[in-house]
Amino acid sequence: MTTTAPTVPAPSRLRADQVVFGHGDEVVLHGLSVELRPGRLTAVVGPNGCGKSTLLGALARLHRPRSGAVLLDGRRLDRLPAKEAARAVGLLPQSAQAPDGLTVGDLVRFGRTPHQGLLRQWSAADQVAVEDALAEADLAHLAERPVDTLSGGQRQRAWIAMAVAQDTPVLLLDEPTASLDLGHALEVFALLRRLADEGRTVVVVVHDLTSACRYADEIVALRDGRIIGQGAPRDLVTPELIAQLYDVEAVVVGDPVTGTPLVVPVRACPAVPVRPCPAEGEKRVDSVS
Amino acid sequence: MTSLTAAVAPVPPPGTARLAARGRSLLLPVRPALAVVVLVALLVAVCAVSLAVGSAGLRPARALAAAFGQGQGIEVVLVQRLRLPRLQAGLLVGAALGVAGLLLQVVARNRLATPGNVGIDDGATAFAVASVVGVTAAYAPSGMALAGAATACALALGLAGGAGSSGYRFLVVGLGVGAVLGAITSLLLVRAPIDAANAAFPWSVGSLSARPPGPVRLLAIGLALALPAAVLVGRRLALLRLPDGVATSLGARVPRVRLAALAVAVVCAGLAVAVGGPLGTVALVAPAAARRLAGPRGVPVVGAALAGALLVVAADLAGRTVAAPVEVPVGLVTALVGSPYLIWLLLSPRSLKTP
Repeated sequence: MTTTAPTVPAPSRLRADQVVFGHGDEVVLHGLSVELRPGRLTAVVGPNGCGKSTLLGALARLHRPRSGAVLLDGRRLDRLPAKEAARAVGLLPQSAQAPDGLTVGDLVRFGRTPHQGLLRQWSAADQVAVEDALAEADLAHLAERPVDTLSGGQRQRAWIAMAVAQDTPVLLLDEPTASLDLGHALEVFALLRRLADEGRTVVVVVHDLTSACRYADEIVALRDGRIIGQGAPRDLVTPELIAQLYDVEAVVVGDPVTGTPLVVPVRACPAVPVRPCPAEGEKRVDSVS
Repeated sequence: MTSLTAAVAPVPPPGTARLAARGRSLLLPVRPALAVVVLVALLVAVCAVSLAVGSAGLRPARALAAAFGQGQGIEVVLVQRLRLPRLQAGLLVGAALGVAGLLLQVVARNRLATPGNVGIDDGATAFAVASVVGVTAAYAPSGMALAGAATACALALGLAGGAGSSGYRFLVVGLGVGAVLGAITSLLLVRAPIDAANAAFPWSVGSLSARPPGPVRLLAIGLALALPAAVLVGRRLALLRLPDGVATSLGARVPRVRLAALAVAVVCAGLAVAVGGPLGTVALVAPAAARRLAGPRGVPVVGAALAGALLVVAADLAGRTVAAPVEVPVGLVTALVGSPYLIWLLLSPRSLKTP
């Protein structure tokens, strides 16, 4: 066994099958079905409040669907023992905050929890996985630094390293680039691309369409809890889709670097009648501000 | 290179020692272990002084020996009969409050969370006072205090919609619940006959001078069960310091762990209040001291228990000696120690960080 090539868990596919989820009377996800395959980076896009994070939460068994199921290689994820599920699916929620005083190494070692037990608290595999994860996220030199002294980009990479150390075939990330500047966001996307290329199933919620088109193999477009489009960026991202998703008139050109779609917004446009109208109250607040 | 060393014996994480045999491995965190040693040493010293000081002064070493039945008969009687029960009560109350505070702070993700601040102390006090004013049975204060603690916690949880990610909400609602229950205590004391009100007085200030034997025994039993439970829950609680989503994804059954921690905290706080009354700031300061000593990794359950015991015994010692022969209730002393810390905490940006 060598550690030069990072160890990658056996591939797994995750599938949401007709997942319905809601709080009280409000339905957030209207029977979503989506299949996430190994070796692919899937970007979930859509306007605020469309259910992106909820979908990710349902995939990570944070939310129990009202009906439908999340299947890992054909088995229901919520029926697996918690520890086994934790060895299969890793989640990085939005704007995660580290406990006071923990170092990067401490945080990354938390990722090994599902592989440990009362009488198996630290093994050779744990050490290798933590070292690999730190190297993968380019944080080995910062392992002893407290997380709260890092820059935003480094902090985000530390959380990703924790999820990598968890060594799961499926990795779900909720807006990992939300508060990062251009350079740091680029680093995070490059890291996610690498993780997918190594054979993991990577799902990421993003707002930045240009990056999504550049780095993702597949885009899932979500509006009002429904999937309104799904496919490779080149086939999927059109002015029509942008209008349906965001009520924005846009021009889609080729990215001068990669040739992938590049969305240039023009102006806000009236809602396209392909979907149910948003609540009146919301619209009025918008127009006042 | 790494693979070679890893194949032989993995390097333990910094600050830990690894004990391994036949594929099994344990990690001993060095700093928390040292913290426990230091706290035990301090505690033994303070206990010896506490047993030695009083109307008839003894040398601390002889007082300690007398506590174990060694030495002159009169000293043994003095220490074992008169001073030891009070010391035991102080040790138990302090340890229970330290553990309760630590667990609550992790569950609520807030350094300000204590059984006193979320209404558990007030609930226990109100019910205990009600039992003294109303019925008088040996175990009544304990049972009632426990019921009061559980009621207050359930009320705060129910109204806040769970301790979940809304730790702050739990805290604020708990403050309200505590205020209502505190008012009920006052009302009971005002309406009660003067003798009954006098009997209930220790519960309203926090004192070790009453220490009825029944509740002390119950507290000892409760702590003997709760402390190992807290150590086990503490391992799982370390994950709850991370965001809920991360903890769940790492395999923690978050609601279950949270409920277990709360249950242990309620038992500890309820039984402690039945003995010593509300000593709220102990649950605030002891976990902070334990964390300070044990470092940021993990949840120092044993450290918090020792720090709490140390704090209460030292405060009781101070309360007995500072203005002797007048006795200052231990609750006043701990409040004097705890309040500056509370103010500092409220003013410091650290209070917003996850403990």
